[in-house]
Amino acid sequence: MSWATVFAARLRGLFEHKRLERELDEEVRFHLEMQIEDNLKAGMNSAEARYAAMRSFGGLERMKETYRERRTFALVETTAQDLRYAVRTLRKSPGFTMTAVAVLALAIGANTAIFSVLNAVLLRPLPYRSPEQLAMLWTEDLTQKLREGRSALWDVEQWRSQSQSFADMATFDTVSTMLTGVDGVEQIVGASMSPNLLPLLGVRPVLGRGFSTEEAEQRQRLVLISHRFWQARFGGSHDALGATLVLNGFPCQIIGILPADFQIARLDADVWEPHPSRRTVRGAETWFVVGRLRPTVTFDQVQAEMSAVARRLNDQLPAAERNRGISVVPLTLYMVGPQSRLALWMLGGTVFCVFLIAAANVTSLSLARSVARAREMAVRAALGASAGRIVRQLLTEGVLLAAVSGLIGSLLASVGVRLIRAFGPGNLPRLNEINLDLRVLGWALAISVLAGTLLGLAPAIATLRRDLRPSGEEGGRSVSGGAATRRIRRGLVVADFALAIVLLVGAGLLVRSWWYVNSIDPGFRPERVLVMELSAPPTFSIPAQRTDLYDRVLETIQAVPDVKNAGIIGDLFIANSREQVVTVERDDGTVSERLRFAGDEVSADFFKAIGTPLLRGRFFSIGDGPDAPPVAIINDAMARRSWPGHDPVGKRFKLGPRNSDNRWCTVVGVVADMRRQGPEREPFPQMFVSLAQSPPPRSMDLFIRTSSDDPMAMAGALRAAVRRVEKNAPIYGVAPLEQQFGTYLAQRRFQTSLLIGFSIVALLMAAVGIYGLIQYSIVTRTQEIGIRMAVGAEAGEIFRMILGEGLKLSLTGLMLGLVGALWLGQAGSSLLFGVTPTDPLTFIVVSLLLIAVAVAACCFPARRAMEIEPIVALRQE
Amino acid sequence: MNNDRTDKADVLQGTLILLVLRTLEALGPLHGYGIARRIEQISKDVLQLNQGTLYPALLRMEQEGWISSKWGASAKNRRAKFYSITAAGRRRLAKETEDWRRMSSTIERFLDFDPRSLTEERG
Repeated sequence: MSWATVFAARLRGLFEHKRLERELDEEVRFHLEMQIEDNLKAGMNSAEARYAAMRSFGGLERMKETYRERRTFALVETTAQDLRYAVRTLRKSPGFTMTAVAVLALAIGANTAIFSVLNAVLLRPLPYRSPEQLAMLWTEDLTQKLREGRSALWDVEQWRSQSQSFADMATFDTVSTMLTGVDGVEQIVGASMSPNLLPLLGVRPVLGRGFSTEEAEQRQRLVLISHRFWQARFGGSHDALGATLVLNGFPCQIIGILPADFQIARLDADVWEPHPSRRTVRGAETWFVVGRLRPTVTFDQVQAEMSAVARRLNDQLPAAERNRGISVVPLTLYMVGPQSRLALWMLGGTVFCVFLIAAANVTSLSLARSVARAREMAVRAALGASAGRIVRQLLTEGVLLAAVSGLIGSLLASVGVRLIRAFGPGNLPRLNEINLDLRVLGWALAISVLAGTLLGLAPAIATLRRDLRPSGEEGGRSVSGGAATRRIRRGLVVADFALAIVLLVGAGLLVRSWWYVNSIDPGFRPERVLVMELSAPPTFSIPAQRTDLYDRVLETIQAVPDVKNAGIIGDLFIANSREQVVTVERDDGTVSERLRFAGDEVSADFFKAIGTPLLRGRFFSIGDGPDAPPVAIINDAMARRSWPGHDPVGKRFKLGPRNSDNRWCTVVGVVADMRRQGPEREPFPQMFVSLAQSPPPRSMDLFIRTSSDDPMAMAGALRAAVRRVEKNAPIYGVAPLEQQFGTYLAQRRFQTSLLIGFSIVALLMAAVGIYGLIQYSIVTRTQEIGIRMAVGAEAGEIFRMILGEGLKLSLTGLMLGLVGALWLGQAGSSLLFGVTPTDPLTFIVVSLLLIAVAVAACCFPARRAMEIEPIVALRQE
Repeated sequence: MNNDRTDKADVLQGTLILLVLRTLEALGPLHGYGIARRIEQISKDVLQLNQGTLYPALLRMEQEGWISSKWGASAKNRRAKFYSITAAGRRRLAKETEDWRRMSSTIERFLDFDPRSLTEERG
């Protein structure tokens, strides 16, 4: 009852602020006048009367403060008042305000942008039903370093029947797909799925339906298309359902449209065809396998069970294949591997460090300002402001600054997000999902509040420590900074340097890794080479037709001006390595073993075009035709593995086990190892057979070595040349080889350049921080320095004293930072390549750089200190 | 500010409400200065009222509905805000008075209390 009336009264007070304030003034004035009159009547003179009246009334401002607090809701009223006051004070010192806002906004913006990447790539669950139950199942053979091997349908059937932990398993993979349209044939991204894949993932077509088991069993010519393909080719029309696409020469009916952004394990295909989910014989075809765990099972249990299954199955396999295991990897972990995860967390940590440094610097600035404002605070205290009120005032200023920065920072972040989506590494999974959602904005808000609290609280604490003496004795004279303020600011500078060195060492190690990675010989020379993909039309079903086509294409291209060499290979870059049983003839007998292996068809001039050196024997020649005995060129890794210590030229091997019908190949040459999975992956055994002996019915990579620095400029002429030979042979994916090879380094480049950027910012901020502190300390110690000089100190001594002060701080930070960097190096060692996390060169260079920056930052103010005139300094008061 | 110590007693916050309500009940509508003067006069200047604290107290009592205020003309025909007690205020005064009496008689008893009267019970 009572609180309700008070509440109502205070609510009114909120709106009648002005009138009530005026009335209070009037009431108080009336009171004082009456008192003075009475005092005069009692015989005092007018001065005495006034003084006595004021005295008996007591603290006027403090009373008004209490009165205002009671008049309405104290918090609303005083916060509004604090805000008005904060805006006024911040506008009065635009230099400080703009610096603080700029620094904080940048830090918050960078943080928010990077957090949005973390959010999309790491935190947001995958777009499937209960994604935490999904797992990739891999065939592995650790003796081959094969970890993520595809599996045969027969194997999957065994796994399914022998395990209890899985509700179901589904299979999928890419399938080379040609689309015949009105203007010729083109290659599109095609894939195949078992009919249970969509139900297993909990994904439903947005239109139409998925495959039934029978349809898949009979391999009926039906397809699902991606949302993107639907929009691009059918304009999103419902007529797409039931329409027919001619794929690989066969008409296929569209029965469903997949949801936008549907992909599975980074496979994002335009058309999907069905394949049966089981097979009774163990065929050569292998697939990716995804499984759904039963709800209560843990990944450890599943792995234990599948390892037991693998051991049982091994007993039924040929001897050469008995090293196989099954590994179960959570789908989320496969989508974003441990290395990308680590890299992203490190990046997040880095940008948060930058934020901390920025906040520390702005806090330091606001501390310096708080010393200068000591007089203002003392006056406010004398007028009756309580300590709590002053703390709140300072906090309000901090939070206001941070709020403005947070707002600008979020705008910057939205620009940053767009930049990351446009220029981020294409092989970063889920890049297209990066955006500013509520969680990201929540993060921006959280760090803004954190910054606001830090930079409001620090001066508040320092102010309280100074004890707000109302006599204004500290505020009245210039002071040497206030001990508490100085201590906090020194701590902040030490922290700045410690964080900066951690980041710099991290960046240094990554730069060293980058140099190392770039110095690796990939086994070919990618500069000035143009790559294009070429498909034989589906009608070329006889191998001789294809051989003829490739010969004619190469011939025509060689005739184009500025072309030095041209060659063909099935696929230069290897996305997933497979394994293969290989039987090898050696001096001491015939050996079969299962190898991580790749085999490709190449044209005679391929190695010349790409620039891979021949180590032994010869390249293919015209003589290696379809009717000649089969020959092969192997890479150095295979030579070392299969014929260790012997010359393999002239030796024979065949694919498959000892008793297979495959023909024996004779090794005619050994070429240098090519890094066909990017510079960071070790090469493994590979063989190359002559394109003339086995032209495959799929698309081929065409390599053209030119004498032009800009091979892309020749794309049109080359395309036209191919078209002249065969207008139904589609050409696509034209790109310089250097650019294709560069995509393997995109993620490393992304993280290295971001870390370099952030650590330079950190270093600059640390430098500005120490410069500000030293500069300020000199200004407040002018008098002391003056006295020192007056009693005979040399200018040099003063210089050394100031420099020493700065160096002491930066060296303390350096020590702390080096410890942190050692720890960080260990934690992030898997991101490094060819450099140890304790690389002495990096640590020494970074330490020297930091000391140099610290000395430079201290030198300017120290030089100024030397120029202080003792007389002027002493008179300054 | 109020560092100076005199032998006059400061008016406690809680009792101020009682004094104001009693004054208004006895003397009818008064302005702020009038209330302060009367309290000092009635207490024969023993109670030292920190006059400034009177106004926040008046505001609170008005918000509680114990008193009401109205702008009017003072004896010297100057504009002043007059306070008068309300019905709720009278009820409050009765309660406060009773509380105060009970409290002071209890304190009284403690002051007159003879320790020997308890020894037997302590045993």
